[in-house]
Amino acid sequence: MTAWIDASCILIVFFALAMLATHRLIGVIQLFAAQAFVLGFVPFFLHAHDLSGRDITLALGTLVLKAGLVPYILFWAIRRVSMRSEIKPIIGVGASLIFGALLIAGAFWVSLSLKLPGKPLSDLILPCSLATVLLGFMIMVTRTLAVAQVLGYLMMENGIFLFGLSLFDAMPVIMEMGILLDIFVAVFIMAIVVNHINEAFERSPGSNRGKMGESG
Amino acid sequence: MLMMVFDVCSHGLLVLVLAPLFVGVIARVKARFAGRTGPSLLQPFFDLRRLFFKNSVYSRTTTWVFRAAPLVVFAAMLALSLLVPLGISRAPAAFTGDILWLAAMLGLARFFMITAALDTGFSMEGMGASREAFFACLGELALFMNFITLALLAHGFSLSGMIGVDAPLSWEHAGPALLLVAASLFIVLLAENCRIPVDDPDTHLELTMIHEVMILEHSGIDLAYMLYGAAVKLLLFAAILVPLVIPFRTGYPPVDMGIFLGGVTGMAVLVGVVESVMARLRLNRVRNFLLIAFVLAFFAFIVGLWRM
Repeated sequence: MTAWIDASCILIVFFALAMLATHRLIGVIQLFAAQAFVLGFVPFFLHAHDLSGRDITLALGTLVLKAGLVPYILFWAIRRVSMRSEIKPIIGVGASLIFGALLIAGAFWVSLSLKLPGKPLSDLILPCSLATVLLGFMIMVTRTLAVAQVLGYLMMENGIFLFGLSLFDAMPVIMEMGILLDIFVAVFIMAIVVNHINEAFERSPGSNRGKMGESG
Repeated sequence: MLMMVFDVCSHGLLVLVLAPLFVGVIARVKARFAGRTGPSLLQPFFDLRRLFFKNSVYSRTTTWVFRAAPLVVFAAMLALSLLVPLGISRAPAAFTGDILWLAAMLGLARFFMITAALDTGFSMEGMGASREAFFACLGELALFMNFITLALLAHGFSLSGMIGVDAPLSWEHAGPALLLVAASLFIVLLAENCRIPVDDPDTHLELTMIHEVMILEHSGIDLAYMLYGAAVKLLLFAAILVPLVIPFRTGYPPVDMGIFLGGVTGMAVLVGVVESVMARLRLNRVRNFLLIAFVLAFFAFIVGLWRM
């Protein structure tokens, strides 16, 4: 099972990198859904020998909420406000990819000296979760589009979830579900906020100024 | 000595037979996707035979560079093929550090192709040459990063030590890194051979072409050498990638050869599928596409170091 956990960890970081490199908002949401989908299977792989109700709840909760509902809400939000589909990052995609590579290297370097209690099944979980958190943070600070920032935040949370999984036995399931619910509510609220921002943009001072210039 | 000559000949023959077939499989897959029956798998052979019997036409602005380029490209690809093991056929000329030689041969072929394109004095060819040079730089970066990772995993600097029949890398030991290397090398394969997300081999619009525009002025037997060289290059990249994806060996030579040939066919089908379902990338995004290949290779390198 360790091989499957390894592959999942690599795929999660791979999707994070792909999100960093994608120009289109729809593509980023799809990649996020794919990442959450892979993440949902990790609890199964972690306790393949003795699956408990807790694992199944956690996996199903992740799959339904993060891979299903959250992307659905985000799709709904961008369709509703007919937002521009191009993500315009503050720093270019090429530069952010190089930074992303450095962040991954940093995450692995930090993990070298991070000693956690317990023995995780795969030694890749910790560095990959840190890398996902950092890449999510990177997306959050370099994107100008609100939905893209939401996605960065969600990706960060994916990383934290993976991190939590490595400490799974020490973490009560209620807490995990609490985090999931938090995220769900956060996306819901952000969808509403995004709506408002977009409606506000339509009457933004910028567009008014254009009209005034014409009349003046 | 005789044995060596035999090895080289059989290896070369295998390459020369498989390369056009590989192109034929891709064309067939693309035709099927478009709802057509498609040409015969042997069609590339017929095309090459037709071109080999034709004379070349040379523009008055061209010099000997233009005439030498097709032969140099073809010869460089053949020299390169001697380093790449094909299934049970061991690389006849493997030596420590041959990954550098491999990159050098690729560079030599590219240098002559670019110079020949510039030699024609045709502005479109110049544009193609400029693009080829730029993308090749980025592609080479990713290629070398992959080779470094593979050298780290295989504890050796010979391509045969990484993907050869005797010492395959095992997925159990190096799985995560190999996953990334395979993904990265596949992107490099598409870019180096000018397949669809980077360049469309079927388009004949000068403004968007990369590889095709550079061989526009070549005709007859020269064009045949260029096309054959490109086919061999594509096959060799697939031959490097397949043993990484399917690293197990049964120990029975015919079965191993069958697995290898199946893998190569699968790779051709995969390239065909990618070409059918993807659109060309905008030219200024090809850079990012290749950067992804580099970052994946870099990630693989870190994972490889981590697991050492």
